[in-house]
Amino acid sequence: MVAADADGDGRMTFVEATVRWLTDPASWEGPGGIPARVVEHLALSVAALLIATVIALPAGLAVGHARRGQGVSVGLATVGRAIPSFALMGLVLPITQAYDPANGFTIYPTLFAMAVLAIPPILVNTLTGIREVDQDLVEAARGMGFTEAALLARVEAPLALPVILGGFRSATVQVIATTTLGAILAYGGLGRYIIDGIAQRDDGMLYGGVVLVAALAVGAEALLALLQRLAARRSAEPIRANT
Amino acid sequence: MRIPRTLALGASVLALVGACTTGGGSSAPSTSTAASGGASAPASAGASPTIRLGSDGFYEAKLMAEIYGQALEAKGYTVDRTGIGVGARKVSAPALESGQFDLKPEYIGSGLAFYEPGKQTGDPKANETALQAVLKTKGGGITVLDYSPAADQNAFVVRPETAQQFNLTTMTSLGAVASQLKIGVATDCDTNPVCAKALKDAYGIDVTNATKLAACDTPMAQALKGKTIDVGELCSTQPDIAVNGWVVLQDDKQTQPADNIAPLVRDDLLAKLPDKAGFEKVLNDVSAAMDTATLTDLNKQIAVDNKDVAVVAKAWLQSKGMIS
Repeated sequence: MVAADADGDGRMTFVEATVRWLTDPASWEGPGGIPARVVEHLALSVAALLIATVIALPAGLAVGHARRGQGVSVGLATVGRAIPSFALMGLVLPITQAYDPANGFTIYPTLFAMAVLAIPPILVNTLTGIREVDQDLVEAARGMGFTEAALLARVEAPLALPVILGGFRSATVQVIATTTLGAILAYGGLGRYIIDGIAQRDDGMLYGGVVLVAALAVGAEALLALLQRLAARRSAEPIRANT
Repeated sequence: MRIPRTLALGASVLALVGACTTGGGSSAPSTSTAASGGASAPASAGASPTIRLGSDGFYEAKLMAEIYGQALEAKGYTVDRTGIGVGARKVSAPALESGQFDLKPEYIGSGLAFYEPGKQTGDPKANETALQAVLKTKGGGITVLDYSPAADQNAFVVRPETAQQFNLTTMTSLGAVASQLKIGVATDCDTNPVCAKALKDAYGIDVTNATKLAACDTPMAQALKGKTIDVGELCSTQPDIAVNGWVVLQDDKQTQPADNIAPLVRDDLLAKLPDKAGFEKVLNDVSAAMDTATLTDLNKQIAVDNKDVAVVAKAWLQSKGMIS
């Protein structure tokens, strides 16, 4: 490797190495290039978030609306949050690998661990958001003849939306940052640069990967924060009887 | 670790006595030469200085050191095991150089790379010669004794049924069918000259699309076990190989750095010994008797079966008739 030495002090700092790696056209090309890795990274992250949403959102809505079983739900979520993702990957790996030796090793364990990681914030925020909707409003709507389903869909859920999105937002940031673990089990994604950068003693690749993961997570955070703010503005508007 | 501790205690007491009788000073060749000059009985504990053993922290290194220790004790030498498992080469190499201990097992390829990175080759003889040249000037002189056929180095491993199906024994035989197999290589393979390039040049194996996993580590072993890959890059003495009955493919074109195990001894100790040739023979006999497959099995006994290092060492030495 040719040393880039921008400040001419005769050695390459990791900052110089990182800038060099990020600006090297070769880093952006081919199946191991940055665009391809970002797509892989997002594909697994989004899939995990979708799975988590499908499980946690209805559960959170139901528990929040019923105003029962919150202790159990939050307890389960806390346990889920407490198990390290890498341990989960190791736990499910022998099972998924037995069904599918290829994807059961490189994809499913990471996907499973990321979904488990994303469930707690979505679940807890959803049920908390629903539960904290002003009960006077709920009773008023009930008095107006709203069915329970309509109550949840048209009163509670819209009012709780900013809080629900907040859960989705923190889940997204966590998942994007943690999907890097997949590289340990030979998945692609941006974690590849971190694992390979360490193995190849290539500081540029290593810190370049770190910068990209952080940028992706922060970018997603900003986007969802914007969505959340829009939702908050909407939910502050008065409820119209017929939407 | 009951036995070694007792032995170590006995050894250090003897070391103390020995130091007193020879007038102390481990680095005073004139004194020790004079002291040893009078001794005629070969290798008796009274006349011979205590052999201070050291090793890296990894269990295989500790096992080899323990084997050296027990083999020497069987010949009447007094052994101090304080330095066994002292730490990685970064610690153990300076410790040997500065005379913290006198004898340690070393991997001749990695040991050479410690002093001269990139100089190690696939030829153990060349590595030994180069390492000896470096160590001649270190710590007042360090001698590399005979290296063992046993080597802990990068190796490509297959499941027994794969070996049978494709009739695989060597890397050359793998090269002929590599395109039909899923290969797992180290994460640094692309840039490591002894990995991607060496495999391509020597065996025609293309690892561009190979599965990248940490070599010699659990994910690689698990990937091979669960058939995610058919060929895995492991370390040649990794316990997983013995546990699963995997087949190590012979690196017939010597592409991987040869990491055979050899005893390193400080020259000032050798000079003090009444029977230098006899001492060296004990260690060289150990090296000659050990091989990679046996060492893998001993590693498995320690790492998987949780047997005591000293017990495993003793059983092996007994099986070779080196101790009673």
